[in-house]
Amino acid sequence: MTDALTIRVGGSAVVTDLGRTRGSQFGLPVNGALDQYSARVANILVGNRSADPLIEIIALDLEFVTSVDILFAVTGATMSVFVNEVSQPQWEPVSARAGDVIALRDMSSGLRTYLAVHGSFDVPFLLGSCAPDTVVGFGTRLTSGTKLAVNQEVAPISNPYFDAALYNLHVQRPPLGDIVRIDITDGPDRADFGLTGGRLFAGPYTVGANSNHIGLRLSGALPERQSCGELLSRGVPVGAIEAPPGNELLVLHRGRGVTAGYPVLAVVTTTSLNLLAQVRPGQQLAFRRVEVARATELARIQRDSLAALNARVRNVFISLGAKNVINRNLIGTTRALL
Amino acid sequence: MMRSGLSIYESGDAALRVTAATGDRELDWRLVHELARHVNGTVIPGILGCIPTYDALLIEFDPVETSHDLLEPFLEHVIADLDPTANPFREAKEFAVPVLYGGEMGPDLADVAAQQGLTPDAVIELHQAHPYLIRCLGAPGGSPMADGPAFPLPVSRLASPRVSVPQGAVAVAGRQATIAPAPAPGGWALLGRTPLRMMNLEREPLVPYQPGDRLTFHSISEREFDVLLGTEMKALND
Repeated sequence: MTDALTIRVGGSAVVTDLGRTRGSQFGLPVNGALDQYSARVANILVGNRSADPLIEIIALDLEFVTSVDILFAVTGATMSVFVNEVSQPQWEPVSARAGDVIALRDMSSGLRTYLAVHGSFDVPFLLGSCAPDTVVGFGTRLTSGTKLAVNQEVAPISNPYFDAALYNLHVQRPPLGDIVRIDITDGPDRADFGLTGGRLFAGPYTVGANSNHIGLRLSGALPERQSCGELLSRGVPVGAIEAPPGNELLVLHRGRGVTAGYPVLAVVTTTSLNLLAQVRPGQQLAFRRVEVARATELARIQRDSLAALNARVRNVFISLGAKNVINRNLIGTTRALL
Repeated sequence: MMRSGLSIYESGDAALRVTAATGDRELDWRLVHELARHVNGTVIPGILGCIPTYDALLIEFDPVETSHDLLEPFLEHVIADLDPTANPFREAKEFAVPVLYGGEMGPDLADVAAQQGLTPDAVIELHQAHPYLIRCLGAPGGSPMADGPAFPLPVSRLASPRVSVPQGAVAVAGRQATIAPAPAPGGWALLGRTPLRMMNLEREPLVPYQPGDRLTFHSISEREFDVLLGTEMKALND
């Protein structure tokens, strides 16, 4: 029998990865982990490649039993993590033995939690990605009884220096809660909104209940399109901010349809899209305008921090005598892979 | 604006949009697809994908690997060398699409007819009058996007979009026409539905048509719809 995780409680969890970049030419959205930062960190913490399949949990509890020794890590939205009811840290690697019950409960801030297991999972792929696509009906959803094949067993890792804390990796965690500040750049159709485009910065917006991986709906000051003619459908970037008819602002995320016939007022930056993934319905957010050059710089700083984390994790596993955890694909890796 | 009528716009830190405005819509369309063909055919670190449509191309990239500063001079160079007479498409495949019009399958047929000042039969006749050139693949899930039928007026989008439009829905909006390969929310007017299965996740490409191919629509009865339901869409000249 394949070594596997068996889901006991699966409220709203899927297996995903960094997304289906090959899909856009066929009209499929990229999808994948909405908080790419937390997803990348989870995989790095267990010695995986950044693009390996991992679990994304939205809001609700997850509980599973493992039939094999595993090394896992939990990042993203804050939850209580237990192995056999013993509390475990988030944003650190954690060992569990065959037969253990792993539970993630009571998400307290943020909206999406990521759980990576060393060796990752054996799941179906479409166009090079396992990311669910709700429109075409593809993906691996975890419900009670689902068995998830694990590709590699990892013996428990312990600290040879008595009971000193095992890792202390000090991973930078995204700010969750309160009013979230979201950086945006001017969109290609900014001029279509005239002076009303400035309303984006007038005050906080409230996230609507009908928000999801396709887009967030915000209530607040609404910019108005000054032009009126029918627009031909065009490719729209992830992060596009549109003001469709109605009384809500639409901010597209990774599940967005690749084409649309609305002008693009502004675009959320790569790093702020990760924060947007953690904003809950009812929560408030405020926009801040940045130049594209600054947004690019921030994306690079974040990715560099992941490369540095990857190096630290390797060193820690080596010092703990857990060389088997270091993915040979990561040796000599460049930041392109992270 | 460059010599060829193409312009580049920033679209956030991870995408840029190239638009064509030569004054010739056919040329605009060919140019953006020709540019996409060039970009897809060149190994450029950091480029993730191209979405060519009617008069625009969205190029998505990883801002860590590349940037506007690097890509724009490269694209300007490619654009300067674009051959305006080039045909970026394969030899056109033809698809005959059976449609059950009106009723439950085409709940907006009567409204579209009223809006256009036509009878429903006249709307159907116009919808079937000419082959449709597939301009691009769009949302949802590989929809074949085409120029709309020769209606007197642009078709209004629905005031309140539907939560779910069924697979096979034959739709029009503005001056555009399409068929939905997968169920999805939608604000386009539905004239009917085809029983054909357009998308197959088991093979690549997922849909049998490409930009540059042609669709024609013909009416079928309810009984024919039931018989054909789930039949895979195939080109006539395959």
